[in-house]
Amino acid sequence: MKKKALCVLLASAMTLSIAACGDGGSNAKESGSVSNTISSDTPVGEVVEVSNDEFVNGKFTTTRHITVEVYDRGNDGGSDPTNNMYTDYIKKGMLEDHNVEVEFVKVPRWTEVEEINNLLASGSAPDICVTYSYPTIQTYADMGGVTDLSGYVTQYKSELPNLWNWLGDTNINWDRDPVTGNLWAVEAKLATSNRVVTFVRQDWLDKLGLKAPTTKQEFEDMLVAFDKNASTLLGKDADKMIPYSVSFDVGWRAATLIESFIDPDITDKEYYVNGFDDRKLTQNGTKEAVRLLNKWYNMGLLWDDFALYGSGDTSEDSFMKAGYVGAFTHNWDYPFRNGEDSINANLQRQVGADAKFVAVDCFEDKNGNYTKFVSGPIDRKVFFPSTNDEPLASMLYLDWISDPEHIKYLQIGDEGVTHQVLDSGAIQTMAATGNAIMNSGMNIDYTITCNGLNLGDDKLTALSKAYTYAANDPALVQTANTIAGTNLKIGKNVNVGAIEAEAGVGDTLSAKRDQAYDNAVVCAPEKFDEVWDAGIADYLSAGGQAIMDERAEKWAKYFSSDMLP
Amino acid sequence: MNRTAEKKEKTPKSWANTGNYLKRYWQLYALLALPMIYLVVFKYAPMVYIQIAFKKYSIVKSIWTQPLAKNFGFEYFIKAFSNNDFRYALKNTIVLNLLDLFFGFPAPILFALILNELCFKKFKRVVQTIAYMPHFLSWVIIYSLALQLLAPNAGLVNMVIKKMGFEAIPFLNDAFHWVGTYISFGVWQNFGWGSIVYLAAIAGINPELYEAASVDGAGRFRKIWHITLPGIKPTIVILLIMNLGNILGGGFDRPFAFQNNLVMKVADVIATYVYRVGIKGLQFSLTTAVGLFQSVVGVFFLLMANWISRKMGERGIW
Repeated sequence: MKKKALCVLLASAMTLSIAACGDGGSNAKESGSVSNTISSDTPVGEVVEVSNDEFVNGKFTTTRHITVEVYDRGNDGGSDPTNNMYTDYIKKGMLEDHNVEVEFVKVPRWTEVEEINNLLASGSAPDICVTYSYPTIQTYADMGGVTDLSGYVTQYKSELPNLWNWLGDTNINWDRDPVTGNLWAVEAKLATSNRVVTFVRQDWLDKLGLKAPTTKQEFEDMLVAFDKNASTLLGKDADKMIPYSVSFDVGWRAATLIESFIDPDITDKEYYVNGFDDRKLTQNGTKEAVRLLNKWYNMGLLWDDFALYGSGDTSEDSFMKAGYVGAFTHNWDYPFRNGEDSINANLQRQVGADAKFVAVDCFEDKNGNYTKFVSGPIDRKVFFPSTNDEPLASMLYLDWISDPEHIKYLQIGDEGVTHQVLDSGAIQTMAATGNAIMNSGMNIDYTITCNGLNLGDDKLTALSKAYTYAANDPALVQTANTIAGTNLKIGKNVNVGAIEAEAGVGDTLSAKRDQAYDNAVVCAPEKFDEVWDAGIADYLSAGGQAIMDERAEKWAKYFSSDMLP
Repeated sequence: MNRTAEKKEKTPKSWANTGNYLKRYWQLYALLALPMIYLVVFKYAPMVYIQIAFKKYSIVKSIWTQPLAKNFGFEYFIKAFSNNDFRYALKNTIVLNLLDLFFGFPAPILFALILNELCFKKFKRVVQTIAYMPHFLSWVIIYSLALQLLAPNAGLVNMVIKKMGFEAIPFLNDAFHWVGTYISFGVWQNFGWGSIVYLAAIAGINPELYEAASVDGAGRFRKIWHITLPGIKPTIVILLIMNLGNILGGGFDRPFAFQNNLVMKVADVIATYVYRVGIKGLQFSLTTAVGLFQSVVGVFFLLMANWISRKMGERGIW
């Protein structure tokens, strides 16, 4: 009897709750259709009209509210990325100029793609989103989750002078679909083409009486010399010596080496077909570059544990700062970043006044040049999820943040606090404290349409570039800048519309690529071919081949020759 | 439930009885309601979304209006089984879970038996507490410990090995060694906590049995073999069933924390595959299909183990 009663009770409880769930379902349906009206169901370029009495002279009559993504880099001793001197400046400015309230939403820098995915999937993404991953945007656009910007950038062109001036047609329409005309994102502008450079310890070279390497062979000899003389260079820490440090992200952290093996006269078509992976896994020549790394690894010249430390781990940085690392390849300004906490500043404090990393160009290609393949003038991609119900206010934000005055202030801050003006007129960045600390170099996390110093005046910018790294020797920055700008091969825009095979596989393929690289670096030399081919096969079967096929097919459809016009 | 009350009214006659019964025991049901609501909201309601596995998923459309996937909705199941990564993940899940079962299941039983034989109460308590502790550490922390100890270059253990003139052992960066490390840490983390249930079961054995055995001249091992082990057999069987039900399951944190690029071939399991491909790669339908497959197989194992245990004359879980 009791059992039966229990059953009845439970059953009714269940029915009730399921009924409740059903209600939830229908609500979801409604909200789904609301967002549809903004995105997928509307014809290309349609905009949500804002009537004249709501929007007068570039200003809303009632205060609007938008949320904006900002990267959280989790720096030791950094300021709160959503609330500091710079966010105050932006919030105040937007409220005064456009009557728009701005709220920042932080997203961890090193897992940004995953985080954005989660936010988009749950419908809680900020109104203005920023990511480096276009495939992520494309995937959501295909599902109707992204606002089409094509109408906004043209219809409100007169309200967006700074955006058009700064990005221009090139960056605004970079991703416009050639067939449908949809525009899911605008590309931020890369003010500098500098990408990756190799650094070596100048003081070690001096101690051993070596010259800075200018060829692969000299570089290898240098690494061997570091390794052999570990006890001279490091004393009791000799066993901690890492002659050449490469992380799990081999494709980035040996980029200059890899690029030196690629045919500098590669056709645009071949480069594009293999170009989905920006770490150049399938480009011609990459295999030989990794074979060389494999040789070095087996000679004990690389960091043994590199594959065990994932993205965002700071162990490797600490080895560099502590002075155990002889050479490494990284972003052109890596040892100068973060002022007093930069790698070079740490080296000087912990190791000695003469300890420093200097940039070198030492990986020659088959023509004897130091060709570096860099991307086009594009950087992050800015997009609005379809949950954005203030598209115009958000466009105005992009315009505001592209104003040269505002970029300048965000990059250099206040005189006497974050920068000083030198006699030459150059602007030198100073190490700031508290609220004025910039979490990212020159606040690129706030200047979402601009990456790289841009003071509104080209001369001043060039003059100041070397002085923007507080607590670092401008001469070293200048050297790195020069080397990073040598023999560039700048990427071109191959706009053939969305490549369907690219949707949703970006992250899987990045992981596959890293596995292919890492395994090939650490295997025994006689097994190298086998391991490398297995890694490539794995990459291709996981979607890499489909992308290459579709890219080749689309190329043939739009271009008649193997080179771009 | 109240057993005596149940005996008294074995045959129900009218709704009046039910009313009376509810009046008397409604507090118990009110208490039961909370966990029931939890189960319904967090375990049953989400099941509505299982249909994503059979549909072409879109974040903006309601699941009821999403179109059916190709091949009568089985597109994603076909896709999963023709995918190399999924097959690796499936194989790894089974292999790692079987190894876990093989090494990890007997460990707490042995530990409980050993603890039970200790005469120094204080020592026993201290050992017990120390053995429990790892259970409360998250896998991320355990992995950082492992990295500090076992990394080939900077790990303490390998430093000692190298100082003694041997080659560093690639505990974490070679497939074979990695599996050993992974399983060992699993056993280490869980054996103390797992032994609690057995200790409780051992405590429930009638001490007179031991006295009688002593009188008959049974030694320590005889007593363990003939009294303690049979005494905790039902507990062992129940736990074994529950473990078998989990053979395709298993946690996410442990493999995720321990994985690195060099061992993915053996370290990628279904949970991490689903996370990588589904959440990070946005292929929600595919991974829901994988998750559904995983659950169905899990239920199958559970039913089978339960059936076997009942055939063997033990109590099942139902």
